Amino acid sequence: MTRNRFIDLPLAAVAMLVYVSLYLPILLIFLLSFFSMRRGKVNWDTFSLSWYAKLLENDALGGALWNSLLVGSLAVTAAAAFATSAAILVRSRPDSHSARLLEYVIFLPFLLPPIITGLSLLIYFREAGVGRGILTITVGHTLFVSAIIYRIVLTRLNALSRNLVEAALDLGATRIQTFRFIILPNLRMPLLTGGLLAFALSFDETMITLFLSGTDATLPVRLYAMMRVGFTPTINALVTLILGFSILLTVAVALAWRRNADSARMTSGEGRT
Amino acid sequence: MDAPDTDSRHEVAGDRTPLLRIRGLGVRFQDFEAIRPLDLDVLNGEFLTVLGPSGSGKTTLLRTIAGFQQPTAGRIEFDGRDIADVPINRRPFNTVFQDYALFPHLTVRENVAFGLRVRGIARATRDARVEDALGIVELEDLGDRYPAQLSGGQQQRTALARAMICEPRLILLDEPLAALDATLRRQMQKFLKVVQRRSGITFVFVTHDQSEAITVSDRICVMRSGSIEQIGTPRDLYYRPRSRFVAAFFGASNILEPCRIESTGEDTTMVSTPFGTIRVDGPPPRVREGLALAVRPEALVPAAGDACNRIECEVVSVSFVGSETITELEHSRTRHVLTMKTRSDPSTRQPVVGSRLEVGFDAAACALVKGARE
Amino acid sequence: MTDKRMTGHVPGTIVLWAICILFILVPLASFLAYGFLPVIDNAIVYEPTLDNFVNIFSNSSYRTTFLRTMLLAFEVSVFNFVLGYATAYFIWRRPPAWRNALVIALAIPLLMSYIIKIYAMRGVLGTNGLLNSALLAFGVVDEPVSALLFNLTAVRITLSVVLLPFMVLPICVALERIAPQVLQAAADLGASEIQTFRWVILPLSLPGAIVGAMFTFVLASGDFLAPELVGGIEGFTFGRLVFSQFGLAFNWPLGAALSVLLMVVALAVISVARRLSNPRWQS
Repeated sequence: MTRNRFIDLPLAAVAMLVYVSLYLPILLIFLLSFFSMRRGKVNWDTFSLSWYAKLLENDALGGALWNSLLVGSLAVTAAAAFATSAAILVRSRPDSHSARLLEYVIFLPFLLPPIITGLSLLIYFREAGVGRGILTITVGHTLFVSAIIYRIVLTRLNALSRNLVEAALDLGATRIQTFRFIILPNLRMPLLTGGLLAFALSFDETMITLFLSGTDATLPVRLYAMMRVGFTPTINALVTLILGFSILLTVAVALAWRRNADSARMTSGEGRT
Repeated sequence: MDAPDTDSRHEVAGDRTPLLRIRGLGVRFQDFEAIRPLDLDVLNGEFLTVLGPSGSGKTTLLRTIAGFQQPTAGRIEFDGRDIADVPINRRPFNTVFQDYALFPHLTVRENVAFGLRVRGIARATRDARVEDALGIVELEDLGDRYPAQLSGGQQQRTALARAMICEPRLILLDEPLAALDATLRRQMQKFLKVVQRRSGITFVFVTHDQSEAITVSDRICVMRSGSIEQIGTPRDLYYRPRSRFVAAFFGASNILEPCRIESTGEDTTMVSTPFGTIRVDGPPPRVREGLALAVRPEALVPAAGDACNRIECEVVSVSFVGSETITELEHSRTRHVLTMKTRSDPSTRQPVVGSRLEVGFDAAACALVKGARE
Repeated sequence: MTDKRMTGHVPGTIVLWAICILFILVPLASFLAYGFLPVIDNAIVYEPTLDNFVNIFSNSSYRTTFLRTMLLAFEVSVFNFVLGYATAYFIWRRPPAWRNALVIALAIPLLMSYIIKIYAMRGVLGTNGLLNSALLAFGVVDEPVSALLFNLTAVRITLSVVLLPFMVLPICVALERIAPQVLQAAADLGASEIQTFRWVILPLSLPGAIVGAMFTFVLASGDFLAPELVGGIEGFTFGRLVFSQFGLAFNWPLGAALSVLLMVVALAVISVARRLSNPRWQS
């Protein structure tokens, strides 16, 4: 097809606007972690790493970061187990009503506004007499991120040939052996990707967590609290570090995907229609 | 078995003016030459098949005619007009794609109507013509289905109706039957042939299947490594292949080589082969070097005392494959192998493995072709 | 088709459903039930009444806040749909290598802390912010515009920016799924570029856009962080109203009742989007 300049030009303008607006806040935080700013202009002479140095002394942020990592790991592990079982169940009978209902219910905490998920768990835990803390936050995050792992795992399962499982059973494997040696190896990449995505979601989750945290705040909740009383540029330094780390991780996963793509194509069999 | 009688049609086709005149057309992808500069005429109203193994450039040729591929050399004239600058959507011909490329979000009826819709044809006219087209491809009852709800054959017919609706002068078909099973394929071959003859639209059809090409075509253009190997009627290619490649492609498994011309007469040539001297009927070959002799397996007959070409052989194996019996023979002296295909007949005995057998073939049943190494 | 051999046996099903009921359905039910409880003397009384709902529907300030918030979410969805579709379409028209890079560039801002991004929007939109200095530098305005922060416009812009990837990415996925042969077929049948877009590309990518719009609407309608951080007093939204019932006002049942409204709208949007994004032609 011929590429039409008259169409591309306005599209490029809009795309540019979108990318600039997406990166402007990020750029600002990045700059503020090194420089000071006056009247919307960066003062380039003020370069310093002092905010990064101060980061090491800030115990409150350190504790919150630790809580975030803890909650993230726990929630991702629990969600991976839950979502994978659900995906296998749904895949084994995709047309049944109960499977479709199960899928809908799993998606609810992800699709509903976070304020509703947070609120309902808050009320539930209060009535059940469970105090707010790491445990309640973890439950909230587990439910929130399950949908994403479920989706990614199910996509991979759908691409897997049914014959693969049947062949394993035919060769005398037990159901557990089939899962361990046939299904699980094929889910390695989706679980890795889904897990990382889920971890990122959990790490950044604020609105559900605000309802479910007691004195043990996660990082975003701590940041929220700090913003209301007074923002210190230390936060800029921390956020810049986290962003850099996330980008590295993303690139690593993208590379792993590319390497894995060939072997995945080999096992997908009849799934590619 | 003989191919359908197409010689007469070929002659009619010969009187027609070319609808499409391709001159020096070449396509090059970086350092790979997909099509070496070639000439080809597509005659008005004919069913022309471009036949070749994968990688022979046949699909590239079709895509270049359709306009999806820019040629790097040469020109394509349609009705005497160069169409190099005519964009795809203005070219007066339509394509049936290999995987049909139906619009998944449109029903069969809407798919077929698409070409009329983009031309702004009024709804009433449009509907009537869509119904006509659906009638031709026998899909009247499935008009409201979506492509995902159709079988392969139904999708194929939808694609055909969609391409025909605007009454193009030419339809390009890119391996349209490749995805169908054998039975359906044969049905669709007949169907395509009938539709083509009734509509009078010129078809250029790409396939890698020689039996399909023989069944449907008025003329066949055999391609190999980006060049045209031979063009002719199915009978021409079947009985008068010009190269070892074409002969082998059309199932002549007996290639006798090396060959040396001993003498040429007005209408016969004497050729010395590893199997002895063979008489070949037909005009003398233009070249005398690098020749091979192609003999069809079904031309060989056992114990033919009256045949002019006779070869003394030993029976190596006999396999009964239903209507035919295939016998592998070894030349007694040189140990060269021949294949003979005879009609199975319950009243005659099969040859016995290990026995000696004299086989013969007619001087008109073999062809001198270009050898393997040119 | 039932295929029990692929592990799906009865105990597994029961455990999965037990988790769903215990942690998803019962909490949602208890939150619905809470909406019916009155608060007397700062204590929740477990005798269901309709008081909260009567209160909500008779209170005009609740009503206007609700409608304002829905309108806000709708505006953000429409605005992002236009921007997002144009961007996704632009990306799709690039050569493949460019396309991947542009999609990754779109996803990276999602790795940046949500709350920090919102906070940073203050630095972008403020009187001394980046936007104002850019406008001044290009001579668009003579003096800084103060109307960009601490009002509803600021909330619109901020939500639009932070939710944009949720719109663009699903459209990119949908466009990517369109088979190139289908577009060739359209051109082959005589369709112009605009006709191909209108009759083939747009309908085939619309399911993705609907999913994006759904995400945008649901997230925008319930968000309380952006309105609180950049909205000022004017940018008071329904999410903030609900959240305040769990903070200062400390009226949980009223908060629950208010968010029932939000949930009804969200569920309605989700089911409409589910239907629209799975059209009949997708087998």
